[in-house]
Amino acid sequence: MNGQALLYGGVTVAFWSTLLVVGICYTIFDLGFRFDVAWFLTETSPFMWANLGIGLAISLSVVGAAWGIYITGSSIIGGGVKAPRIKTKNLVSIIFCEAVAIYGIIMAIVISNMAENFSGTTPDTIGFKNYQAGYSMFGAGLTVGFSNLFCGICVGIVGSGAALADAQNASLFVKILIVEIFGSAIGLFGVIVAILQTSKVKMGD
Amino acid sequence: MAEEMFGRLVSIMMVFSLLLSVFTTRSCSDHVPLIMWSSEGGSLWTQDPPVAGHIVSRSQLETYLSSAFGSAPNSAPHTVLLFLQDRLSVDDITLYGGVFGNKQDSVFPNLETALQSSSSLLVLPSVSGSASVPEVLQGLLNVAPLSLDPEQLNELHLDVSSPALLVFRLPFGTGSNEMAPKDSLRENDRLMGNVLDAVKAQAVPYTAVYTALAPSWVTRDVNPAPQSVGRSLLQATNDVYAPLQILDNMGKVCILFWASNLTVSVLQSGQWQKADLTDKTFISSGVEKNGSCNASNSQLILKYGNILGFQTFQLTFAMSQRLYPVSARQWFTLDQVQLNYDGHNATFNGSDGITAPSEYSYHCQMVSSSDYPLLVPSTPTDNAKQWILTFTDFQIQGFGVTGENFSYANDCASFFTPGIWMGLVTSLLLLLILTYGLHMILQLRSMDRFDDPKGPAIAVPQND
Repeated sequence: MNGQALLYGGVTVAFWSTLLVVGICYTIFDLGFRFDVAWFLTETSPFMWANLGIGLAISLSVVGAAWGIYITGSSIIGGGVKAPRIKTKNLVSIIFCEAVAIYGIIMAIVISNMAENFSGTTPDTIGFKNYQAGYSMFGAGLTVGFSNLFCGICVGIVGSGAALADAQNASLFVKILIVEIFGSAIGLFGVIVAILQTSKVKMGD
Repeated sequence: MAEEMFGRLVSIMMVFSLLLSVFTTRSCSDHVPLIMWSSEGGSLWTQDPPVAGHIVSRSQLETYLSSAFGSAPNSAPHTVLLFLQDRLSVDDITLYGGVFGNKQDSVFPNLETALQSSSSLLVLPSVSGSASVPEVLQGLLNVAPLSLDPEQLNELHLDVSSPALLVFRLPFGTGSNEMAPKDSLRENDRLMGNVLDAVKAQAVPYTAVYTALAPSWVTRDVNPAPQSVGRSLLQATNDVYAPLQILDNMGKVCILFWASNLTVSVLQSGQWQKADLTDKTFISSGVEKNGSCNASNSQLILKYGNILGFQTFQLTFAMSQRLYPVSARQWFTLDQVQLNYDGHNATFNGSDGITAPSEYSYHCQMVSSSDYPLLVPSTPTDNAKQWILTFTDFQIQGFGVTGENFSYANDCASFFTPGIWMGLVTSLLLLLILTYGLHMILQLRSMDRFDDPKGPAIAVPQND
């Protein structure tokens, strides 16, 4: 078994066995009541959730864009060796991928503008509005990040196919562009839903 | 076969001596080893060997010996040589028997030889001191014991047909002052060897028993029921007082309360005045304790006199318990802490933080209305705004009290603080991302399908 598989296997076993042992100990000592998810959700600061959302929004989008560009770019460059005419037309695939990253950064800026200061230290004094804000920002960031991630990959693979098909037969490119447009629409869906999620966010006192 | 028996003998003795040194709680730790072997004859082990650490009593010894001597035709020879040493313990054999691989240091060469050449062997590492072996043998063999000096054996003619019990007192005891224990044991072994040689010269089948009258290593009697050695803080503070108890109608304790420090402060004319009520509450009897308990509500009332300029001052702790269906257990909460002073009320709510399952007590290092408040004023305009109530090392139990001590304390501090959890969550996420990225990078491979190191380099056309 190669080292990587061993490492992943080991980490997984360690993780699950820790969980199992801790769970068994809690059960045996009748301390199950101390496993309190609500405590975790209310005691952790809403700022953590908000900032995790902002970070994930931009980073996952960029991962998607980068992945797409690398797939498409390699194909364009490779195909361009034998058929140099494709290079200009196929840059449009790269632009579709890049759009995904732009969605990500715009959403990150929009979400980060909603983070305000509040004075409250206990769950009571923080108030439910702030908790809702924190969780919404986390959710929005997750939404836009993951949908952009997969959109970017999708557009990248389609663009790669488009470049190679174009290298073979120039008439194929325009039709394949339709596929790419459908692919990039899904990134837009993510952005729209994220906007809806954060529409009611009001952080602060 | 006999050699490995000897080896097994000493290993058993090592284990037994270790166990014996541990199990010293017996009040009568007076036991001696007994080694019995026969030159011919059948197996002396006709019963289960004794359990490790078990001291063989007189009746059990009689059973062992009677089964050894009584089971004809394979019984042990009835010519018994009893070597009685003044003092012997299993530990002597462990120490001086060369059992740690140093056979050459053994002080029992003759004993070892005899055991190796014996046809059967009985080892009882601890026989009770009260089981007098000579008497037992005398009773079994129905013959009077004959005390001999080892030198006198040559003059005696042994008769196989009739049983005989020859007792040899080995003159050197390991507790004596003239010789080192090692040397006295060696001397005794030499004498035993002489006797056995003499008997062998007469070609008489014999059974030999090596035992002692008293143990040479007497372990100290340890109090069989030691006091519970609980751990206590090195810096155990000044005075530790018992928790405050409130009894219910039936005289059973139903509320327990403890704090190492109890202070109240009031804002009077722009200044905070503080009063320390610890002493009055727990140590001296300067407070009137009252309370009531029933199945769902408990109340603790402490009445002080003249605190901070108020004639009457009263602290009331109101606790309630009920079943919470989601967690399917009963929880109790300290709902309110009320201060009544000269007809005014100040009420603090504690129901959010001060809670525990009903059968447990609640403990918190700091219960206060000022820093990290667990007690908050019940309404924003309550009088409680002018008061600060602080308990240090606070512990309370209002339900399910058994006895005078608190039940398990549900502490307000958890193992991981919220900050630690936040750090863990974020770190875990970043680690996952890093792992994913590394995994991707590590599986990058360059195209080598068409690599042909020996073939011609590819030609790239110069024109479009």
